[in-house]
Amino acid sequence: MIDVQNLTKRYAKGAVVTEALGGVCFRVEKGEFVAIMGASGSGKTTLMHILGGLDRPTSGTYRLDGLDMAQATDDELSGIRNRKIGFVFQQFYLLDRADALKNVMLPLIYADGAGDDDARAGQALAAVGLGTRTRHRPAELSGGEQQRVAIARALVTNPVLILADEPTGNLDVRNGLEVLAIFQRLHREGRTLVMITHDAAVAEHASRRIVLQDGRITGDQPVASPRDAHAELARMTANAPGMPAGDQGTAANAAGMAVNAPGSGPQ
Amino acid sequence: MNRTFRLLREAVGTLLSNPQRSFLMMLGLIIGVAALTAVICIGEGTRARVMDMVAKQGWDLIMVRAGAVRQVFAPTTDRTIASLVEADAQAIENTIGNIRYVSAVQNQRGWEVVFGNTSVKTRIFGVGPDWHYIRRRPVEHGEFISESDVVNMSKVAVLGFRTAKVLFGGDNPVGQTIRIGKEAFQVKGVFVEAGITPGGDDWDDRIVIPLTTASRRLFGRLYLEQIVIQVRDARTLPRTVEQVQQLLRERHQIRSAAEDDFFVRGPEDVKEAALTTSSTLTTLLIALAAVALLAGGVVIMNLMLISVSQRVHEIGLRRALGARQRDILGQFLIEALCVTLGGGALGAACGVLGAALLSWAGVATSRISWMPFAAAMLACGLVALVFGLYPARKASRMDPAVALKTKGQ
Repeated sequence: MIDVQNLTKRYAKGAVVTEALGGVCFRVEKGEFVAIMGASGSGKTTLMHILGGLDRPTSGTYRLDGLDMAQATDDELSGIRNRKIGFVFQQFYLLDRADALKNVMLPLIYADGAGDDDARAGQALAAVGLGTRTRHRPAELSGGEQQRVAIARALVTNPVLILADEPTGNLDVRNGLEVLAIFQRLHREGRTLVMITHDAAVAEHASRRIVLQDGRITGDQPVASPRDAHAELARMTANAPGMPAGDQGTAANAAGMAVNAPGSGPQ
Repeated sequence: MNRTFRLLREAVGTLLSNPQRSFLMMLGLIIGVAALTAVICIGEGTRARVMDMVAKQGWDLIMVRAGAVRQVFAPTTDRTIASLVEADAQAIENTIGNIRYVSAVQNQRGWEVVFGNTSVKTRIFGVGPDWHYIRRRPVEHGEFISESDVVNMSKVAVLGFRTAKVLFGGDNPVGQTIRIGKEAFQVKGVFVEAGITPGGDDWDDRIVIPLTTASRRLFGRLYLEQIVIQVRDARTLPRTVEQVQQLLRERHQIRSAAEDDFFVRGPEDVKEAALTTSSTLTTLLIALAAVALLAGGVVIMNLMLISVSQRVHEIGLRRALGARQRDILGQFLIEALCVTLGGGALGAACGVLGAALLSWAGVATSRISWMPFAAAMLACGLVALVFGLYPARKASRMDPAVALKTKGQ
């Protein structure tokens, strides 16, 4: 799925040249859930941008689903981002003026599809347990719900790769676990996920962990026994009986296999 | 459903989500286009009115005025100029081919006219029997002055519509006797109501009497104010004008270098003069339209630049989701086009309304047509392209990775 060889990225600012990535090599097979870990300044954001086709490496090769990303033109990269990659960002990046459905439909503008945008977006929202919140604007949704809308937006084009950049970074523990539970479910369904995070506990939900330090890979091994976000959520709910019932239901359903979430989240 | 349509929907959604900003973007254009539309409506209206006026006076009318001043419309005060005489009119009729009717005309203001206890000050015209064919002023009651009235210096009068109304109220004046100065006149007819010409001539406030009666019994002078001529063939009228001019120069023994002591006016002169009088307002409005369109364009460019910098994350996001550079360019250009065309439509509506109001208030004549709408839309489309291109390009050229990393918002 992903084949990265000797990837380097250097930024020149005047006479000063900064090396963000210094010869990164790794492969990600179809169906893997990989966490790329690193502190700030480790080059993980640069790597994420290159993996996402938002930036090009200075040298080295990067093939995504057989496509040469290092040589692609700007328009080709746009097309690849649209069809092959689903982005999930730390800041969600939802359009405030548009409701959940419209936000999820956004990638379809550039997909030149058949015009069943509404139906596809509705399905994607249902898949993250927000089937009943399609007409809510981001300001009317909780942070966790907003990130779930963003995940639906990433899923709507049915991409081969979900690329998440600190997806839990702006969320509390519970909402973070909800997002991770959805990722784990997508993983079980056979999707390929690459998640960038600085948080070791978050990374433990993936099936494999790559550690990035000063632009080089210093560790790459499977996670021995990944944490189960769904189970963690259930434990949290059991330990905190004061939680509103509606929220528990939504979270549990979104994390589980159910597609149609009953009830509504926190108002 | 193609991409352009989807981009259009995005652009409209964005604009509607911030109506205040959208309206501010439109404001300059609304003013500019309103002015432009009003100019065109008024211009068209004026043109139509002038053509109508010239047509009413007749495309076959030539007027010779006494004096060297090129005065197309009737002078507002009496000027007794000793240049034209009845024999000139006679000579024109006898020697120039393309002539149907000729009438010598004398006129003088400020004559007191009395009937019973009522008196009125009005303007007296002395004319020949063909005058009312030439000037196309039909008589409503009674009849016009005849050949024999002129030969006999009859003391008969044809009254303007309002003059008759003031003197006689609702009664039929025909056959009644009025006094003009010291002389008694019998009313022979009343003109149909005609109103005021754009030159300021009030056709309803006057009394018309035979030329001979005017010159010999009332005014006591033989010099004329004008000679009016109707040609047979309006197509060769310019040549006839030249012939009249030539004939009068010979008759008045004017040497080749010297100026005419008369002014010959054709229908084209009337048209031109009437169009130039309305040009000041037009120039003013066109200047306003140009300034407002330019200012509107600059405002649009600035607000779009602000919008682009406020929407850095949106631009980065759209690029990440698959928008090509030209999709971003297209979206912002479509937004600009929607704003300008919306502003243009609103402005055109305001302009038409304004022109209609000016017309209703009597300041100007206007005519509503599709022309100003087409012109407005064209101008607005141009403004969108000229002033929207830079911000749209700036948005499209943004590096998506940098845009997503940008702090703030």
